[in-house]
Amino acid sequence: MPVFKTPFNGYAVKFSPFYEHRLAVATAQNFGILGNGRVHVLDLSPAGPISEFAAFDTADAVYDLSWSESHDSLLVAAVADGSVKLYDLSLPPPSNPVRSLHEHTREAHSADYNPVRRDSFITGSWDDTIKLWTIDRPTSVRTFKEHAYCVYSAAWNPSHADVFASASGDCTVRIWDVREPGSTMILPAHEFEILSCDWNKYDDCVIATASVDKSIKVWDVRSFRVPVAVLNGHSYAVRKVKFSPHRSSLIASCSYDMTVCLWDYMVEDALIGRYDHHTEFAVGVDMSVLVEGLLASTGWDELVYVWQHGTDPRAP
Amino acid sequence: MREEQVQNAVKFLSHPKVKGSPVMYRRSFLERKGLTKEEIDEAFRRVPDPPQNVSNAQPAGTNQDGQVKPLSSVQPQVATQILQPSAAAPAGVISTLTRSRFHWSHALLAVGFLALSGAGTAVLFKKSVVPRLKSWIRKVVFEEEEGSAKTTDSKPSLQQEAAAAAKTAAAAAADVARASQEMLLSKREEEKYFKELMNLIGMQVQEMKSMSNAIQKLEGNTHGRTPLTEQDHRVSAKSLRQPNANGNVDFDSYSARSSPPPATVEPSAAPHPKSYMEIMAMVQRGEKPPNIREINDLPPNPNQPLPNPHSAPRAKPWEVGQTQTSYSQVLQSHESTCGLNSNLQDNGFVNQLNGDSSVPWWQKKNVRITEIENEDELKRGSSGVLTNERPVQRSWVPPQPPPVAMPEAAAAIRQPKKTLSEKQVADDQLVADPSDAIDELQRITKISESGGVVDANGGSSGLSKRFSESGVDTNGMSSGLYTSEIQEEQEAY
Repeated sequence: MPVFKTPFNGYAVKFSPFYEHRLAVATAQNFGILGNGRVHVLDLSPAGPISEFAAFDTADAVYDLSWSESHDSLLVAAVADGSVKLYDLSLPPPSNPVRSLHEHTREAHSADYNPVRRDSFITGSWDDTIKLWTIDRPTSVRTFKEHAYCVYSAAWNPSHADVFASASGDCTVRIWDVREPGSTMILPAHEFEILSCDWNKYDDCVIATASVDKSIKVWDVRSFRVPVAVLNGHSYAVRKVKFSPHRSSLIASCSYDMTVCLWDYMVEDALIGRYDHHTEFAVGVDMSVLVEGLLASTGWDELVYVWQHGTDPRAP
Repeated sequence: MREEQVQNAVKFLSHPKVKGSPVMYRRSFLERKGLTKEEIDEAFRRVPDPPQNVSNAQPAGTNQDGQVKPLSSVQPQVATQILQPSAAAPAGVISTLTRSRFHWSHALLAVGFLALSGAGTAVLFKKSVVPRLKSWIRKVVFEEEEGSAKTTDSKPSLQQEAAAAAKTAAAAAADVARASQEMLLSKREEEKYFKELMNLIGMQVQEMKSMSNAIQKLEGNTHGRTPLTEQDHRVSAKSLRQPNANGNVDFDSYSARSSPPPATVEPSAAPHPKSYMEIMAMVQRGEKPPNIREINDLPPNPNQPLPNPHSAPRAKPWEVGQTQTSYSQVLQSHESTCGLNSNLQDNGFVNQLNGDSSVPWWQKKNVRITEIENEDELKRGSSGVLTNERPVQRSWVPPQPPPVAMPEAAAAIRQPKKTLSEKQVADDQLVADPSDAIDELQRITKISESGGVVDANGGSSGLSKRFSESGVDTNGMSSGLYTSEIQEEQEAY
């Protein structure tokens, strides 16, 4: 399985929804404390090694990125100086970025592109807000300000065009509808900060939340008092959670315990896979939409792994 | 009044021994003998004056009612008044008593008198002599002071006092200086010890680091960073923003930014890499890590026109429906493979692919896993795994199956049995009747808002109505886009 070494510490990895051999990695220098950042666009080759298609330097750390669902060459990056940068891969690196949208007053921590409407994206920031943008506008369309603390992650509902969820350090997840003025639901999901959330692609009312309390909880928003499942198994905070695009109850997660775990929350013994290939915090994980079972992960050990579920990521 | 009794009483009272006894005893004796009060009084009148010492204490007009006065209350009065007479009185009493028979009561009396006189003496002494002594001592001291003050003139005394005060002040200052010097010295010593301790700890840390390095090397790990050596890193950065929601939880944080990023739980903090701690320390000291470059990441042309998309957006696996997934994936994989092959040829890569592995490595599944999954599926009675063989089986599936029948069957085949009912329900909701599902979500959100039950709009008419309603909203979305999306979605179903 190929490995790619980035010069900086990895923060996020995302597969392209257009090309199954392409993925992008967000990295930050000095663990994201203070330093530059870089966005890598990598290509998988059938022979094995990962090659770098392009790389874009940023003045500050890049915490997250998201591929455009409408344009195959567009990439949105959430940067630690609060700006949101748009990169066009069809242009050479000196012409990039094509847009820099600077409205967040604190670090922009997450970016997610709308997979249904395909024309807008949301960014979550440590200034407690989520902003809605379209790629053709220089300013944000809407700002959602209700959280009491940093918004760590925001994710669109894969079935409903205007619904998204946000996970925050105020220990709640809020469900929003862009047509409504405020949040439509508040889920006090954990007792500690919630670092990530993701929707079930096959059940539009199921959402998974990952928290500092080392657990992942799966909720049905119709009856949000009690979680559908609680997935324990990580020994430190869970940094990212992702529902599989191919199997309705499969969840991938990565954690500060340096492992990437796969769960099936419908099954009694939920943990169905564990990969401990990283030697530092595993911070980013993604499952390919185009290739079933293809996983990618990155971490503070400056490595990007791409492997098939069931194989050993470190195998040559 | 019986004259005989009175005369007997007179005789009795005239007896010298009786005359020496207290009046109370005489009275009580006569009463015991059966005399009336009048008779006793008459006898007392006839007898000459009663003895001195006892009646002195008695006030003049209390002969009649002084009978019940206790002796003890009388005696302290006596003792305090006159020392000598009281001292003499017991002696006198004793001397008078020795002439008559020695009765035990007399002995008791004598003892009592002695004790009382002693007590009286002590009390008197305490009350009078001691204060006199004290005042005498004070006088002596005062005279001394006066003497010392008088021996010198007033002016020199002031000067001397000032000098003395100055001297004492100087002495005190010297003391303080000495004390502070000593403290400084001790502090320095403590610092030295502390530094030594820190050095020792640092050495130990170095040793541990080298040991862990050695271990890592043994394990064959060649990737960059030194792994964590220390168990618990608590970065108590004061500049970090404290969380509002959980004020009590202490967070481990790894960003010097003024807000904590994802943190770890109090009891088990995730051990951070050592170099991370170094950088944190550096930043907190205000130093900038050396490897940072000044980068201008602003867009060179902010009005750069956005590109036209090269390829059409691909349908997501969950959007299209189960049977579609495989087919569309096949299409996509073939597309991409062809595209990739052409790319490879363009780029000059050697095309390693033969007919068998026309699919890149990332699409090949591990044989072992496929087998296991097949077994599992057999057990569960379903087959949910997509393999490359599947497209061949399903190539007869039309691209747009009728929404109701096929997805149910597909779900029945592909999903585990126990979730079959759920899946059917979900699929029904999702695929067969999208409007209901959407409406349900809307209903949920409405319920949470209003707290009441909102009737779901049935049918697709409701769906389009809602969308068209919201198309008028001023949320910046173009209504044209809305309607086009609606059409797309409805077509898909």
